[in-house]
Amino acid sequence: MNEGRFKLIGRDRPDLLLITSVVILLAIGLSTVYSASMVVSESGLFRRQVLWVGIGIAFFLVGTWISFRRLEEISPVTYLLVCLLLLITLFLGGGPADRWIIIGPLHIQPSEIAKAGLILVTSWWLSSLRVRPRKFGELLVFLTILPAVILTLLQPDLGTSVAMIMIVLAIFVWAGYGPGWIYLIVSPVLAAVSSIHIIFWIIFMCILGLILYRRKYPFSSWLIFMGGNSIVAALTPMAWNLLETYQRSRLITFLDPSSDPHGAGWNIIQSEVAVGSGGIFGQGFLQGAQKELAYLPARHTDFVFSVWAEETGFLGGIILLATFFVLIWRITLAARKSVNSFNSLVTAGIAAYFTIHVFVNIGMTLGIMPVTGLPLPLISYGGSQMIVVLFLLGLAVNAGMYWREV
Amino acid sequence: MYGNSKNWPFFFSLSVVSILFILLGAKLIYLQIIKGEYYRGLSSQNHIRVIVTPAPRGVISDRNGIILADSKPAFIVSAVPSEFNRANTALVEQQLEMTAGELNEILDEASAVPHRPVVLREGLSVEKVSSIAENLYRIPGVMIDVAPLRRYHRPEDFCHILGYVGLADTQDSFRGEIIGRTGLELKLNETLRGIPGLQREVVDALGRIVEEFRGTSSEDPVPGGNVSLTVDAELQSIAITELEQTGMPGAAVIIDYENGDILCAASVPVFDPNMFARGITQDEWNAILDNQDNPLFERAWAATYPPASTFKVVTACWLLSKGLISRDYMPNPCYGSLTLGDTEFGCWTSHGRLNVVQALEQSCDVFFYRTVQLGSIDELAEYSACFGMGSRLTDVLTGEKTGLIPDSDYLNRTYGNDGWGLGNLLNISIGQGELLATPLQLAVIAGIIASRGEMPPPGILLQRKVLNPVLSSDVVTDSAFDIVTEAMLRVVTSRRGTLYNAFSDSSLDFWGKTGTAECPGEDHALVIGFVRDPMPLAICVVIEHGGHGGSIAGPVAENILSRYLVERGEI
Repeated sequence: MNEGRFKLIGRDRPDLLLITSVVILLAIGLSTVYSASMVVSESGLFRRQVLWVGIGIAFFLVGTWISFRRLEEISPVTYLLVCLLLLITLFLGGGPADRWIIIGPLHIQPSEIAKAGLILVTSWWLSSLRVRPRKFGELLVFLTILPAVILTLLQPDLGTSVAMIMIVLAIFVWAGYGPGWIYLIVSPVLAAVSSIHIIFWIIFMCILGLILYRRKYPFSSWLIFMGGNSIVAALTPMAWNLLETYQRSRLITFLDPSSDPHGAGWNIIQSEVAVGSGGIFGQGFLQGAQKELAYLPARHTDFVFSVWAEETGFLGGIILLATFFVLIWRITLAARKSVNSFNSLVTAGIAAYFTIHVFVNIGMTLGIMPVTGLPLPLISYGGSQMIVVLFLLGLAVNAGMYWREV
Repeated sequence: MYGNSKNWPFFFSLSVVSILFILLGAKLIYLQIIKGEYYRGLSSQNHIRVIVTPAPRGVISDRNGIILADSKPAFIVSAVPSEFNRANTALVEQQLEMTAGELNEILDEASAVPHRPVVLREGLSVEKVSSIAENLYRIPGVMIDVAPLRRYHRPEDFCHILGYVGLADTQDSFRGEIIGRTGLELKLNETLRGIPGLQREVVDALGRIVEEFRGTSSEDPVPGGNVSLTVDAELQSIAITELEQTGMPGAAVIIDYENGDILCAASVPVFDPNMFARGITQDEWNAILDNQDNPLFERAWAATYPPASTFKVVTACWLLSKGLISRDYMPNPCYGSLTLGDTEFGCWTSHGRLNVVQALEQSCDVFFYRTVQLGSIDELAEYSACFGMGSRLTDVLTGEKTGLIPDSDYLNRTYGNDGWGLGNLLNISIGQGELLATPLQLAVIAGIIASRGEMPPPGILLQRKVLNPVLSSDVVTDSAFDIVTEAMLRVVTSRRGTLYNAFSDSSLDFWGKTGTAECPGEDHALVIGFVRDPMPLAICVVIEHGGHGGSIAGPVAENILSRYLVERGEI
């Protein structure tokens, strides 16, 4: 930070590899939505998706042009507005699962916007803490993100709120907080989960002890972490036993919808059959048999990858995965070279956003992740998400171009 | 990297991303390359079918374990429109004894969701379904499922209490799933239904099972919970026969006033709920609709009647407990009517000077017209609410009515602030006017008097929470109980009592009160009362348009009680 007070002039070329992978993914997305929309009774899906991409590209350009310094200044206000939107959704939400705000022809999904708001506010907090450290600063960051996470959880949208926490934790890692630190932060959750079996519990406690030892924590911290997590782990089975049977099964279905064989479990099986039947070369564009038989649920949104994998096979699937990997790699590079901490953290948050969405969504269609409503960025049908994602990508390109700015 | 000399976050993040992508790629290889052939086979020729094994619906029995409703094995035949070949239409129609064109109609209607099976016929016996089963290989797209049929063993006696079931037709129901439509079948559906079992199979284009779907376990059905009622099936049967013999619609409710068990809740006319369980025909449905007495209507708790003179029991308790009159207080004599302003309030004969016991015994209206003016309409309304009138007594009887107690608020709303007066109070004092009660509520009034206020709220489920008595203590004084009980005995034993004739040959010791409810057409006949020995029973009988309470409803009550007690060997 020696050059801190100087502003270095000049910019790099926009990252063409990043932009190319975005274009490839948009093309895959549009063709898959087109294919999926052939059997959807709702008409005009494809036309609307084209419109969203158009608007999204405008937002992309805004993202490349906007000043990061200005963005940093308005981050807290933006976050407050996002929370307000989520609050409104909770009371006036409409559409499927009441997750939308409907104004005339406009359907906005605030939880999608909230994810971008969280990236901004977390980066803002962490970079300001770096300049002016505070006692319990990390706690303040967590308290700040709590409203958005809880409002999303209340919708109820467990998947999105967990994704939000993951993104925030990833930004912490990027800011230099090590895996050990993250482990301590999430230890109560791990304690509750590990209480299902004594072996898990012992492993959990051993790792906890190791981290505390290596970080040379004082005795009081040992007491708090070991004792507190023991209490959590002891209380979890008791709380579980206090629940009525129907409450338990509701909780299980909430946490793991695939345990409900009438609903989500059926979707997973159909999705696996669709992907598997694609084979190496796929059934051909517009030829997906599972899709045509209308077995596949949410073909154009959550399960859009199944359609792609069924029609283009392993070849198409690997191309899509590789393109996503290149995209994430290029975003991470931009984050790495950014001199300004806010720019770097925001860009890293964007990389985390992509990683988590791609893994959870595709993992769900392949049956290795539980069913959640997380869409596949740039591919799934949906306006709010498309616009937010393209804006974030614009920011990533921006960060790579103006990396010298402080 | 800003300010951080080390590059570890970069390499750490990138390795996490790489691991996640390798995981996705590995599963993709497994699904598409290793198992690709298997899944391709599944999606092109075969497909997965979910087989639902219905859970046996819970058994309903009476208090002595007599089974009232259970299930018998039956089958349904359904077809998947997208797999069914219309060339086979005639064959299927012949096997299922359907009229020509009926099948195509069903299939056309269901073609919006072509892969979802649609029910063609339900409730088929083993014999009927076997001929289709033999031909199944010739008619792809048709399938046979087990779907237990609800069977009612005493269909007519319990048609109103149990209600009936029908095929579920909601989005998430499976073929052949039955749900309660009315009565306890509806109210206790969640308890009775159980959880269906699930199996996944891979079937080929002809509907033959190729194999169990790999990797998912099947789930066994969980039977529905059984339910025991407080009702005594024998008593219910006697009550239905006795009511039917009058030839008029009516209801009889009998409650064990010591524990609140509803032993009998009979309502006539009746219908056969098995018609609904197996699928009702158009003719049967029309026959029910054409019956002016409406057999589907439940009269023991879902119908309200003016309680008429049976309500005088409550009025008398109020007058005595509030100290408005004493046992020996005699107002001016009854000359056969009472004139208030320019309205004449009639009595059914001139009774002369009476005290409260005699007034109840002979059911004199004028006594109550005169004495009730000592209090107000709101006091009487509030007091009668203590007896359970104006509110529901149970939470499981579907369609239970609250009845109606008119108070000044109600009358103001109905007639305007000046549109009513003392005359309304006089009418209500003898159970006429706007006052309405269900037969169940009237039986509870009898039970409260019999138990001297100790009776718990009535219930029809044998397993239920014990609740506090309907009547809170101190509402009715001990002496008021004594006096009203004495009067109800004299209604039966005194020569002038309105039930003297009905019970003159009876070996029962009965306490009672009659009522003759004025209504358009012939009056409704009512009687309430109780026996203490050999069993604590409170009863209410209502015969619609039966005429005089003492001469029509009284004998019915006597016959039901004595036949039941004789059959049990109690008397």
